[in-house]
Amino acid sequence: MSHAFRFLDNIAIADIAFEAEGDSAEEVFVGATRALLEVLANPITIADSWQHQVLKTEEHLDDLLIEWLSEIVYWKDAAGVVFRDAPLTLHYENGQWTIQATLIGAPVDGGRQELRNDVKGITKHRYRMERNGSIWKVTVVVDV
Amino acid sequence: MSKSDLMRLNTDMRVNRIADEVWEIPASEKPGMLVPARVYATRTILQSMDRGVFDQVTNVACLPGIQRYALCMPDGHWGYGFPIGGVAAFDARAGVISPGGVGYDVNCGMRLIRTGLSLTDVQPRLERLMTELFRRVPAGVGAAGAVRLDRSELTRVMLKGARWCVEHGYGWHQDLSRIEEGGCISGADPSTVSDQAVGRGINQLGTLGSGNHYLEIQVASNERIFDAGTATALGITGQDQIVVMVHCGSRGFGHQIASDYLKIFEKAMRRYNITVKDQQLACAPFRSPEGQDYFSAMNCAANMAFANRQVITHSVREAFAAVFATSAEELGMELVYDVAHNIAKVERYAEGELLVHRKGATRAFGPSSAGLAPEFRQTGQPVICGGSMETGSYLLVGTDRAVQETFGSTMHGSGRTMSRTQAKKQVRGEQLQQLMKERGIMVKAVSMSGLAEEAGFAYKNISDVVETVEGAGITRKVAELRPIGNIKG
Repeated sequence: MSHAFRFLDNIAIADIAFEAEGDSAEEVFVGATRALLEVLANPITIADSWQHQVLKTEEHLDDLLIEWLSEIVYWKDAAGVVFRDAPLTLHYENGQWTIQATLIGAPVDGGRQELRNDVKGITKHRYRMERNGSIWKVTVVVDV
Repeated sequence: MSKSDLMRLNTDMRVNRIADEVWEIPASEKPGMLVPARVYATRTILQSMDRGVFDQVTNVACLPGIQRYALCMPDGHWGYGFPIGGVAAFDARAGVISPGGVGYDVNCGMRLIRTGLSLTDVQPRLERLMTELFRRVPAGVGAAGAVRLDRSELTRVMLKGARWCVEHGYGWHQDLSRIEEGGCISGADPSTVSDQAVGRGINQLGTLGSGNHYLEIQVASNERIFDAGTATALGITGQDQIVVMVHCGSRGFGHQIASDYLKIFEKAMRRYNITVKDQQLACAPFRSPEGQDYFSAMNCAANMAFANRQVITHSVREAFAAVFATSAEELGMELVYDVAHNIAKVERYAEGELLVHRKGATRAFGPSSAGLAPEFRQTGQPVICGGSMETGSYLLVGTDRAVQETFGSTMHGSGRTMSRTQAKKQVRGEQLQQLMKERGIMVKAVSMSGLAEEAGFAYKNISDVVETVEGAGITRKVAELRPIGNIKG
């Protein structure tokens, strides 16, 4: 199982865009999640003193990814935290996709953490999730 | 334009010259356009505009109920749905409202505070002042504000905006008449705001955010004052006077409201049989329940943004008072003006009552406009335009011609020309900080990578943009303000 992500030039001139891919739906979620965490802060500089469980269900996988990434942005503001990791699993049952994840991080502390961009939201600009054979790919633009 | 000129534009559509600073794309250029699109730009700026501007302003021209023209200001660039710099007015009875025409950061705006201090007073204490400001005005990822609210108090902020701040000691009574709409927009209904928006906003009052938001100490020098009479009337005296500029908005609160209603509008459009050229132009009839709910929620976010800039002003006054060991009143820290550049408002024009969307565009009412505070009836409404952190910013005033031509609207800033990722490849934050220091601009930033993304070379030259709107007669230059200290998230 593997995933990857890269940041894209010139997709959103005032904001940040990334492309994630994986060899399964779950792995593309992992790639997109890692990219978003990297946009917010350098994950290796974040401790693991805060945790929160997330469970979300949607009919469509692309809707679920937007909801999940938006949930990360929500907790960044609501709890004032940045994230070290967000291990997740994805299930498909009875026509519904479900993500079960744990947000792991720590309260914002500019003295100890390498903070980056304060993401305000996940947009649907040029948002699309594609499957080409065994490779899943998604492009995401985040508003900063 | 001639064919050779056309080849240099980032569009295949026909663009006709109306005046030196006004260009029109006829309604025949794209199926579905209900009105022409007009772009305010010099030839050079027009040629530098990205393809998104032309595609998006013509998409906006297809929206139901649009009046006269879909407009884009010279600082325009690609945005979500509408271009940044976009202005569009819709019939308030038969037209639509679109979160994409307001922007995600509802009531992102500019505020200018004057002081009685000069550069000579501030220079020796600049480092301490910057440290004090950086400490008192939270900025960057996840920063929480010093003002703690519970849900019922946040509800009052949504309803009262900057008035709530003044009532709670975070401002002066006279501040209110120097804020667009007196700092309190009517029609806010907190019941239309989601729990998620409340959760994101409850800790954010008085925070700067990140991205292109900033707090800047600037200098107004005699040689950069273009209209001494108007400058004096607005309290800008020149003589190396120190002023403070604030650029921020409604933070995650406003963004959540925009995201929530984009989802609602995507479904509502099917019900109202509306189709749009871009999913992020999702809209609903203004008079529909969904349209009215969004308008009410957007007004809550607009009031939150006015309150946010007001609390920041309070912190700025406290920082100056601490460093100069006197009161902010003694330091003459009066508000010059506070103006939104991401908002939709009902205004009256020749066509009747219109819902004017301004996204990365500023209201620019001239002296004859009704509704201006008495102190601006001679000067016209102040317009505050922020440049990049390495260049100047401008104080302008609105004109009656803007009211006639652009639904009382003008530019808001310089406009990006380079992506954040590209900018970071060209300079490191620490390197930029040092270079700016050598040029007399002290920078404090929460994020060094965020700082690199905001390098001056990533933006258009604001002076070119300002000359365009002055040439078009939709605003007048009052003063250019030069940065000496910049705080970024």
